[in-house]
Amino acid sequence: MPSFTRAGSDNKIRALAFDGDVLLTAGSTLAVSGDNGGSWVERATPGKVLALATHSDRPGLVAAGLEMGDVALSADGGATWRIGNAGLPNGDVNAIAIASRNPDLIYAAVRGDGLFKSEDAGETWTLAMDRPWLKEAELDPLTLASVDLETGMGGIWIYAGTEMGLTRVPDCFCRWQDVQPGNAMDALISGDAPPPENPLPEGEPVLSLASSHSAPERLYAALPSGFWASADGGVVWTRMAEEATSAIAVHPRDETYIAAVIGDTLKLSRDGGATWRAAAAG
Amino acid sequence: MRRLTGIGLAGLTVAVIGGVVLAQSSSETAALEGLTFLGEPVAEADLEAGERVYAESCASCHGENLEGQPDWRRRLDNGRMPAPPHDETGHTWHHSDRNLFIVTKGGVQAVVPGYESDMPAFEGILTDDEIADVLAYIKSTWPERQREFQAEVSANDKGEL
Repeated sequence: MPSFTRAGSDNKIRALAFDGDVLLTAGSTLAVSGDNGGSWVERATPGKVLALATHSDRPGLVAAGLEMGDVALSADGGATWRIGNAGLPNGDVNAIAIASRNPDLIYAAVRGDGLFKSEDAGETWTLAMDRPWLKEAELDPLTLASVDLETGMGGIWIYAGTEMGLTRVPDCFCRWQDVQPGNAMDALISGDAPPPENPLPEGEPVLSLASSHSAPERLYAALPSGFWASADGGVVWTRMAEEATSAIAVHPRDETYIAAVIGDTLKLSRDGGATWRAAAAG
Repeated sequence: MRRLTGIGLAGLTVAVIGGVVLAQSSSETAALEGLTFLGEPVAEADLEAGERVYAESCASCHGENLEGQPDWRRRLDNGRMPAPPHDETGHTWHHSDRNLFIVTKGGVQAVVPGYESDMPAFEGILTDDEIADVLAYIKSTWPERQREFQAEVSANDKGEL
């Protein structure tokens, strides 16, 4: 059974994910719940897990970023694992995402190195891009989310949370850049007033991001200042909970069903983060 | 290719691109099959001019063979990214004609405010026609798949210059 309350201990939940209706929690241990957090079954962990990713089009697929390096992949919801590390450098894989439109395309951020991608479901990896640059420093992605919103470059966005805030890169990997409204370039060119924005608090770590397959414009972010939600792809954010939040997952078919570690407790919301209840603690 | 006139950036921080006036050139009869830039057919003469401009103004950073700078995915010590390839191994073919034109003329900061790049804005260095020619030349080097992909990206870009 997972422990939801011991912050800083080895049992701390580092990552959450929904595999269909099944909720996964991971850290030093890995557990699954098929009844909305009512009961839990512990699974073999492939190592200490720092990040999890799943994909709505491929039930059972779980990708896990591991401390001390490597990506672990499961095709059966975490019951069994294989390691995919060809081409990956040594280092903590502290963020991972599966491309929203292609479950064979996986992204992994290696601490102190860069953003890598695998186009063969995790077998082999190549450097996609160096780490983001914010506030005059190169920063590690702490979390990644493939967000199924058009970039205008024939692809979609990859969002990253860092110690200094939110950034994103098109999946053609041309450049990391701030989140701006979709028509910002046209406003810049025309000289019109830019659209309104309400970004996440400047300079604050973004510890976890989640984008729902069912409504990709709806994003959720875990910050020390709380649980934040955006309904427009990350341009305007609203704080929905004021306790420190460290991990988030959103149900792939219901963008209002969220799991989050808030104040070191695993909580569930069925209304987009407006109200929460604690999951069973095992 | 039709000549581009009247496209001007009103400033580098606020890139205002004026109206496009297209005037048909009488010498453009040898359009490369299927290749267009900003919706206009590209002629062999445009490509030859673009190749010359590329050699003079672009190759020193982006490579004689459009191969980009070494290790171009890794950041330089100054935090900026090296010049990427313009061949099919890079990301240029993911960008629309309009986006490529704006970035070349106004710099990357014309589309991403505050972005710092070693690439200059070419307004005042190259004419609009020269920018169009060099971008058409770059497009002409891509394999069919990349050209088709980029043509679709351009077709979906409904913005104006």
